[in-house]
Amino acid sequence: MNTTMLKTVNLTKIFRTDEVETTALHNVSFQIQSGEFVAIMGPSGCGKSTLLNIIGLLDNPSGGDYYFMGQEVSKFTEKMRANIRKKNIGFVFQNFNLIDELNVYENIELPLIYLGMSSSERKKRVEATLEQMQIMHRRKHFPLQLSGGQQQRVAVARAVVANPHLILADEPTGNLDSAHGEEVMNLLAQLNQSGTTIIMVTHSQHDAEYSQRIVRLFDGQIVNENIRFGKPEISVLDS
Amino acid sequence: MLFFNYLNSSLRSLVRQKTYLLINLLGLSMGIAAYLVIVMYVTYEKSFDNHIEQGNNIFRVVEVQNEPGVGNQHVAITMGPLARELKNTFPSVKETLRVMPAYQIASVEYNNKLLRETNMMYADPSIFNMFSIKISLGNPNKLLEEPRSLVISEDVAIKYFGSAEKALNSMLLLNNMPYRIEAIMENQTKHSHIYFDILISMSSIEGTPEFEWMDHWGSNSLVTYLLLDNKDQAKEIEKALPQFIKDKIFSQNEGWEFLEMYLQPLDDIYLKSKHIKFQMVYAAGDARTVSIFMVISALILLIACVNYINISLARSVKQAREVGMRKVLGADRMSLVYRFISESLVITLIAILLAVGMLELILPEINSMLGTSFVLDFRKPLFNIGLLLLLVIISLVSGSYPAFYLSRYQPISVLKGGIKSSVKSSYLSKSLVVFQFAISIGLIFSILMINDQIRYIQKKDLGITYSNSLFLFFGQNDFKKLDVLKQSLLENPAIRSVSGSSFINGVSGSQGPIFINDTANTKLTVRYGFVDEDFFKTMNIELIEGRNFDPTIHRDSAGVVILNQSAVKKLGWSDINGKKLSATADGDSTMQPDVIGVIRDYHYYSLRSVIEPAAYFYVPEMFRGVTIKYSAQESRANIEKFIESKWKELFPKTPYQSVFADQYISDTYKSDLKIRNLFVYFAILSMFLSCLGLYGLTSLLIEQKTKTIGIKRALGSSVSSIVFDLVKEYLVLVGLAGLIAIPLSIMFIQRFLDDYSYRVEISFYNIVVAILMAVTIAFITVVFKAGKTANSNPLEALKYE
Repeated sequence: MNTTMLKTVNLTKIFRTDEVETTALHNVSFQIQSGEFVAIMGPSGCGKSTLLNIIGLLDNPSGGDYYFMGQEVSKFTEKMRANIRKKNIGFVFQNFNLIDELNVYENIELPLIYLGMSSSERKKRVEATLEQMQIMHRRKHFPLQLSGGQQQRVAVARAVVANPHLILADEPTGNLDSAHGEEVMNLLAQLNQSGTTIIMVTHSQHDAEYSQRIVRLFDGQIVNENIRFGKPEISVLDS
Repeated sequence: MLFFNYLNSSLRSLVRQKTYLLINLLGLSMGIAAYLVIVMYVTYEKSFDNHIEQGNNIFRVVEVQNEPGVGNQHVAITMGPLARELKNTFPSVKETLRVMPAYQIASVEYNNKLLRETNMMYADPSIFNMFSIKISLGNPNKLLEEPRSLVISEDVAIKYFGSAEKALNSMLLLNNMPYRIEAIMENQTKHSHIYFDILISMSSIEGTPEFEWMDHWGSNSLVTYLLLDNKDQAKEIEKALPQFIKDKIFSQNEGWEFLEMYLQPLDDIYLKSKHIKFQMVYAAGDARTVSIFMVISALILLIACVNYINISLARSVKQAREVGMRKVLGADRMSLVYRFISESLVITLIAILLAVGMLELILPEINSMLGTSFVLDFRKPLFNIGLLLLLVIISLVSGSYPAFYLSRYQPISVLKGGIKSSVKSSYLSKSLVVFQFAISIGLIFSILMINDQIRYIQKKDLGITYSNSLFLFFGQNDFKKLDVLKQSLLENPAIRSVSGSSFINGVSGSQGPIFINDTANTKLTVRYGFVDEDFFKTMNIELIEGRNFDPTIHRDSAGVVILNQSAVKKLGWSDINGKKLSATADGDSTMQPDVIGVIRDYHYYSLRSVIEPAAYFYVPEMFRGVTIKYSAQESRANIEKFIESKWKELFPKTPYQSVFADQYISDTYKSDLKIRNLFVYFAILSMFLSCLGLYGLTSLLIEQKTKTIGIKRALGSSVSSIVFDLVKEYLVLVGLAGLIAIPLSIMFIQRFLDDYSYRVEISFYNIVVAILMAVTIAFITVVFKAGKTANSNPLEALKYE
């Protein structure tokens, strides 16, 4: 439990357009241990999403070091990042980002295809995940036939199907009503209980309370890190 | 696996966006169908004479002459002794062949069958080997060596004798002389520059008094073909030809001052002989028309691909999310490129299948228009390979830009909630729209110009009035009954005028010299015309100086000549007073024909050619028939019935054959009409495809602008002003397309018009009409789509994003 999942040292991100230079992150240094559930909070434009993108290996920092599972990755090419990403990280987005043209089963299967898994192995894994998320009966449905809560459940299923070490959730409840939001948070908490590291960007203090630690960002800098202990009792999943 | 996953998502996304799928499929399949039609046409045009096995080594001798009054001219007819002397001089000439149409044979008869045959030819025995003619009955050796021997086709055998067996060794009467049928040949293909169904031995005429010119170098009437050991030897022979001409021809003092020769490959004869006169050919094509159509077909295909590209790019905003998400999940760029190309592969495949289906439906129509017999032959490996190539090329052309464009999106962009299409891609889309409309405008303009030219030809005062006239062909010696024929035809009041003449246009087709009875014995090369005193009146040809022929004046039979204006101009005369020729048309120098009159120049051939000097003689033996003018009130059928009955009474031994003037005229311009018709189809098609693309593109762009439109509407903007904003954008593009298209198409059309000696000017009016048409169609398309969106409830629009 005590290995370091990831560590950033003086992480900086600067966006340049022709005329304007915006510093989105400024000397951000922090560390996350395996099995942690961390919430990143802060007002709009503070750099939360930028940080999440870098942590998720979707983007490179402009400066500083980033160690992911012990490896310095800040200068990796997209191809190298993609390779680490698909093996280790699952993503959950505010707007779900399911592929409309693929049904539930196919959406969940997708990461396994990119991992080059055999079809029998994929079937086993997808079905186990469908079971686990209690969406077996929805497997033939297309995203547009599902409610927002159901879509996010599918997105979470897709994020976990490859057994990633880390799940990144970008405002996972932002587009959901409170009941469905609750459900998704419970799912995440449950995953965390079973050992998956979770980093979540959120605006919601309520959601942040599921985490063990809150990192607060303001104008691209960490202003506060407080450790908390996640909700002890996990409510039973309901479909 | 990945492939099926991709296929799944692309097919589903296509089915979801049915309109765009339909536009893509319709556009591509129509483009492909048009392309295939042209490929078939081009292949057909390029495969003329392919049945001739040794075609690669066969050449036609072409002469370059320089004739006073005419200038330089290339002619495909040559002298009688040429073949023999070439063979004697050049060892690389393996075989030679002379052919000549047997025009003077007016009747072919067996028992009670009496017909005029139009595809008879005199030929040397080498024709069987050189033109790969297969003998289906009879001994294939030593054919056409004896005088008065024949080889006829199976069809001809059946027509006269009922069967090939009965025809073999039977006699046919040609101009009442018996000829023996030595063998029956297979029916010849008409997919050739030369066509014949009756071959007559050259020895039948060689050495006879009437064909005495065949022994001399002064007269050109035969086509000479050479078979070489190997085609590279043609160059060496051509190098030695000037010396050959000097030694063999100039030395004979037959009146040559200038003469050059070259060897034209057999494969070039059909398509590349526009510059050659006096071609005794059955069919002639035009390499330029073929290449124009090749370009047009490629353009149409390109328009269809451009539609595809444009719609893909416009859809890209929607697809970006999928691309981004797949990348987040670990997809690499190549696999995404692969996804989009496989999508275009599937669409192109469906489009090709649709195109083939369409072709099955429209081929009969096209065949009747072009006079061809195209079929889709899937047993031909080349056809299938061609379709496969088309599939690969179209999928790559239309799929690769979108593929590389779309796969470029970084996964991060997806997290920012989609991307707007970049400035660069919208520039590209716009230039593609400009490109499409430029092609359409160019084609529309070209059609308008071609149409003008054809109308100009149809309406132009040719100097001769062909309406309500026809020509009847005489048999041998029928001219003797000219007066009787005139009288009995004129009994019918609907027949206005009857005149003995060379042909309906007044000239015989042959060209030769006249010599002026002056100190220099000036030579002028002219077209000969043999007509009687009624011809100019019959055909409304104006006599502008002097007098007409007059049979009551004894000297007029053979002793006088009427010239056309061009001849007088070439001779530099201010009037014809006291002017004489130094010999008659057949070279009799005991008579010096007076120049008695001048007629206004008229177009005896098409407007493509310049009016050459012409000289008209009153020589009844040379009349090949009568030209008849009838009343416009009388029906053609009645006239023909009456004339035919009179003809059969008077000429029981000559088969009745007539040609109506309008038929003759339309034959002359048939290829122009064909081109115009094809052009019209292609222009409509390209316009349609461009609009289809524009419709698809605007639909998608407007979808993206739904929010803007909603905001504007919410702020109180009127529907019309929103539509106007959208329309304005496109009209600028169409206008720009016009600016690009017009100079290019003017260049193109100028080349088409250059082919005519008499032609219309480039018209500003047509330029305006072409652009206006494109603008209007684009306007309607955009307004239709934009209006719908702008009219919708602004709330709907705002909710959309």
